[in-house]
Amino acid sequence: MKGGVQHFTMSLRLHFRNRTALLYGNVFPLIFLAVFWVLYRHEHVPLLRHLGELLTVTVLGGACFGLPTTLVSERERGVWRRYRLVPLPMWQVVASTLAARYVIILSAGIIQFAVARAVGMTAPAHPVALFVAFTLVAFAFMGLGLVIAALADNVPAVQALGQCIFLPMLVIGGVAVSLASLPAWAQHVSAFFPGRYAVEALQQAVTGHGLAGMRFSSLALLLTGGAGILAGANLFRVDAQRRSAARSNKLWLAVVLAAWCSAGMLAETHGRIAVATDEERGPEKSPTAVGAAAVVPTPPPAAAPWENISAQDVAALDFHVPSDNGVVAPIAGPDDTPDDSVEPLLERVRQGLPTWAPGLTGDDAQRVRYLLCAAGVPDALQQPAERFLPEIVLQRLVEVYPKAKLIKILTWIARHPEDGAIVDNVEALGVTGAVGDPELVRERVYLYAIKFVARLTGRGTR
Amino acid sequence: MSSAVVVRQLSKRYGSVEAVRAVSFTIEAGEIFGLLGPNGAGKTTTLECLTGLREPDAGELSVCGIDVRGALAAAKEKIGVALQSTALPDKITPREALRLFGSFYRESVAPEGLLERFALGEKADAHFDTLSGGQRQRLALALAFVNRPGLIVLDEPTVGLDPQARRDLQAEIIRMKREGHTVLLSTHNLEEAEALCDRIAILVRGSIVAVGAPRELVARSSARQTVTLETAPPLDRVRLAQLPGVEDLQGEGGRVQFRTAQTTATLAALAALLERGPAEVIELQVRKASLEEVFLGLTRSGGAEGKGGS
Repeated sequence: MKGGVQHFTMSLRLHFRNRTALLYGNVFPLIFLAVFWVLYRHEHVPLLRHLGELLTVTVLGGACFGLPTTLVSERERGVWRRYRLVPLPMWQVVASTLAARYVIILSAGIIQFAVARAVGMTAPAHPVALFVAFTLVAFAFMGLGLVIAALADNVPAVQALGQCIFLPMLVIGGVAVSLASLPAWAQHVSAFFPGRYAVEALQQAVTGHGLAGMRFSSLALLLTGGAGILAGANLFRVDAQRRSAARSNKLWLAVVLAAWCSAGMLAETHGRIAVATDEERGPEKSPTAVGAAAVVPTPPPAAAPWENISAQDVAALDFHVPSDNGVVAPIAGPDDTPDDSVEPLLERVRQGLPTWAPGLTGDDAQRVRYLLCAAGVPDALQQPAERFLPEIVLQRLVEVYPKAKLIKILTWIARHPEDGAIVDNVEALGVTGAVGDPELVRERVYLYAIKFVARLTGRGTR
Repeated sequence: MSSAVVVRQLSKRYGSVEAVRAVSFTIEAGEIFGLLGPNGAGKTTTLECLTGLREPDAGELSVCGIDVRGALAAAKEKIGVALQSTALPDKITPREALRLFGSFYRESVAPEGLLERFALGEKADAHFDTLSGGQRQRLALALAFVNRPGLIVLDEPTVGLDPQARRDLQAEIIRMKREGHTVLLSTHNLEEAEALCDRIAILVRGSIVAVGAPRELVARSSARQTVTLETAPPLDRVRLAQLPGVEDLQGEGGRVQFRTAQTTATLAALAALLERGPAEVIELQVRKASLEEVFLGLTRSGGAEGKGGS
């Protein structure tokens, strides 16, 4: 055991000492982050809805390229042959190598996550579930990396094999291209790639239902990862010249493919090809904007009941929101007085809110979310009354809900900005115009939820 | 002396190729034992089976009384190996490598002592990819010592080294002998084997064709002795060539060289010839066969002439 631990720490030390390994293992994933940022920077919460894809690419790179490249280059140079001469069982050396690789991939993920947070991404809804999902994804792809290492005779072969797996997963496996934008046949094909389950599990942890929502994905990842580890361990070789028998290669490759096919068939038989994706990525697919006059659809049930929001959850909110005096989500101060020209509109909203249809929705979280839209839409439209409406909305909320309950609901909304439906126009309240981009309204809803929590709990916003 | 290594009827086959065929030898404690043979003779396969890199098809192997096939991990605790080319990660330092490999064994030597012994103190914290060939090979030797081994296996340790590094390494092997270590040395450098080894085994096409001390092998060998003769005036070459046992007659003028397998008969006939003629002997030299000649003789004949020893 002592030897395995020493090998684990030495593997880490050698990785962080090697500039090339650092470049590919830790810096390169940031390039993907930059690309995702450029692509999705306009979204109301930058990157949050794509963190699953981003982290999957990172794990894929570290596990399906980094791991086998290290293993094969060391095998080519005879390092593994040298390990074979010592009394430490080979499985311990392999296990410590995998453990070190997991830490390396985790470090890349943490750096990526930290940078994403620094550029404006909000905290994930389920941090523990995110860690669990990340670990499962790493497990699944490291199994695949072991198989690649066993099959590839040299480093260029690793690159070729890795690309054969990496590119299809990126394009039709739901990793880099949203499944929703793919044709139906591609959605079916994607169910046979572990990349899809990796994205699903991670995204469930970030914006979805946490551990409860990632059961199927976890199962698929465990299945494909277990098969990969089993096949990789059986095909593992320390000698570059000594290959496993072709028959043995085919047999274990069949085990890996059988696991992928099983996951795909399970997804097919459980109706998880398209419907499940819509549900799990709910906010992307659920109606994001409905007209004020339209009947508001009942949003899907909340990931976890807002009643479970604790004081710690409230305290953990990110109160770094734009200033009340700024352009985004402004709120008039006590000394601000509205112009006479906007007074009629303010009064109409004040009078209209108690009977406004969306504001009477049965689901409490959704009702509050709609009421927040009454402040968010004018802000997104840059109406002259924008800074005075939030106070009216807050008054209405305080009238409807006890303070403690309201704080919980608002905190829930802030922690699940992707959940539920919103409206992009409030013409029924006299505010003319429609926002057009519902995501702008969703962002304002998120910001006002935090600002209202800050007011109700006596906190300041920064 | 007790046997540190016992190899009995070791056989290993790769598909249709029989790489090692019923190889047997023993190495006594404190002995330096050389395994000689041309490429493909089975030296490396024999070493690989003994050190656990390969699983033999048949045969018994024991190191320091431990059955290698039955208790491989325990046997590995007793074996220190320096492979032909030391393979370590580029960015590891000698100190770290010694600490890492030491952790793989139940008992190990502190890196500092080994760094000093193998003159690696100045490079203790340098990355492996910055070490010279000689330094890498010294590190390989240090790694072989990290577990206080009962048997040190050196697989062609001087291949690719410059003359100075080779001399240093050979001096180190002699030091091992002085200290009483048991060493199994694989080489195809005959001078090295002759200078360093107490006994050698010559492998040809997977079988041992001769085992013994280098001098014994030469003495036992039927390899020809070399005769150098200088006379004035020169002897008649036709008559010289007709002397009993004379082969490979070469040379010009008064100085000639030939080989003979019947030294006594050849020299008697040569003396008679000299008595008859007017020629004066300026130089007459008879040189025994070298280990190289023994080796070449055995490898050419496939070992037919050299069976013996244990």
